[in-house]
Amino acid sequence: MRPGKLAEAWNTFFFAPQSPIPLSLFRIVYGGLVIATLLMLRPAWLDWYGPHAWVSLSTMHQVEPGTRLNLFMLIPQTTAWIEAFFWVCLGSALLLTIGFLTKLNTVIVFLCLTSIHQRNLFITHGGDTFLRIAGFFLIFAPAGAALSVDRLIRVRRGNEGPVVEARSPWAQRMIQFELALLYFAAFCSKAQGVPWLDGTALYYVYHLDELRRFPLPAWFLHPVILKLGTWLALALEFSLGVLIWIRKLRYYLLALGVLFHLFLEYSLNIPLFEWDVLSAYILFIDAADLRRAWHWLRGRAHAIAGERAVLSA
Amino acid sequence: MAYRNFIRPYFVWSGLFQSWDPFAPTPKIINSYVEAIVIYQDGNTRNWALPRMEQLSLTDRYFQERYRKYAENLKEDTNAAIWPDAARFIARHNSNGPSPVKMVLLVRYWSFIVPRPDGEYVPAPWDEHVFYSYTVQPEDLQ
Repeated sequence: MRPGKLAEAWNTFFFAPQSPIPLSLFRIVYGGLVIATLLMLRPAWLDWYGPHAWVSLSTMHQVEPGTRLNLFMLIPQTTAWIEAFFWVCLGSALLLTIGFLTKLNTVIVFLCLTSIHQRNLFITHGGDTFLRIAGFFLIFAPAGAALSVDRLIRVRRGNEGPVVEARSPWAQRMIQFELALLYFAAFCSKAQGVPWLDGTALYYVYHLDELRRFPLPAWFLHPVILKLGTWLALALEFSLGVLIWIRKLRYYLLALGVLFHLFLEYSLNIPLFEWDVLSAYILFIDAADLRRAWHWLRGRAHAIAGERAVLSA
Repeated sequence: MAYRNFIRPYFVWSGLFQSWDPFAPTPKIINSYVEAIVIYQDGNTRNWALPRMEQLSLTDRYFQERYRKYAENLKEDTNAAIWPDAARFIARHNSNGPSPVKMVLLVRYWSFIVPRPDGEYVPAPWDEHVFYSYTVQPEDLQ
């Protein structure tokens, strides 16, 4: 490809306006996942982050030195302040989900997530990391451009028309890249390990007592099946990291990815991780296809409601 | 490597640091858990365990999974810096009796996962090791 063509393709990919509906839908799911994360931590907010937590603020700073964006370093280390901090996070995540003062709340949610993670790095998992990084790029994205209270207000005030305007997608692209990077980096790390290459990795994973969730059929734990599963996981992570950018393959890979993560959600106890990752799949769906899916769902809902009305009459 | 050292502080500061290596390059090859032995001034002792996912209900293990991650880190010698805080936390949570806590011992238990040619899984025997002992000070219980 000639340099001129390459630059043009680059500009089109990152900056040619496109519908912000996938991004707005992602914002709603993202906000819901942040709320779920905070609520699941709720019984132990003080145990993990309080003044007498499992890891103190000073120890965390000693273990991970350096200047860090961490609001816990600024607020007084009292129970009331720490609880208030979490309620502010929760409130902000709720406002982000409904899309009210969206820009401000993307900033607050990112600051809160970063601070929570920096405060105790010993309990975060990959899903937390993904939410944090995606949250950073969401700050720069037109996350409230559609499906939001902000848009309703703008339309009511006459500042916007009934059609949602196309916007520059560069921040959405960065979140897409983050998802692809997640898979590709995971593939590269695994490809360096002997158990992943000789096919025994899943044998160990599925015999870790602490990770077990719902029971698996005995045939799944047969060495041959686990070996195939190990290599399939490797191939899928590579494909979702690299081949996802090929438009013709995208929906097939997304479908496989959904099945892969649902299987992990069923079999392994890693709360919210799969949903955190799956949330970003929305960003790979064309707005037109989302619209078609929405109309189909609405049609089905009306048909079912109609059938019920006839039956009850 | 030089560029990595150059950009790392910015990534660390901003929260953009990340590593994607689940079960890689090598998955854990042991089952493990951590318990504490709490020794009181009057000589009594009490075994206290961090929540073990395999012993919890499906709902509880979903909500308390952070303990799994924490215990996984706590047992590592490379994380010795967090042991005193953990011992103090355990001392505070076990100091509601008549006798104050005198000492907390942290014990790790582990059992190797050994693949067998026939595919059968036979759990290996458990090993244990006291990896930290902490003498509790009166101010720790405040």
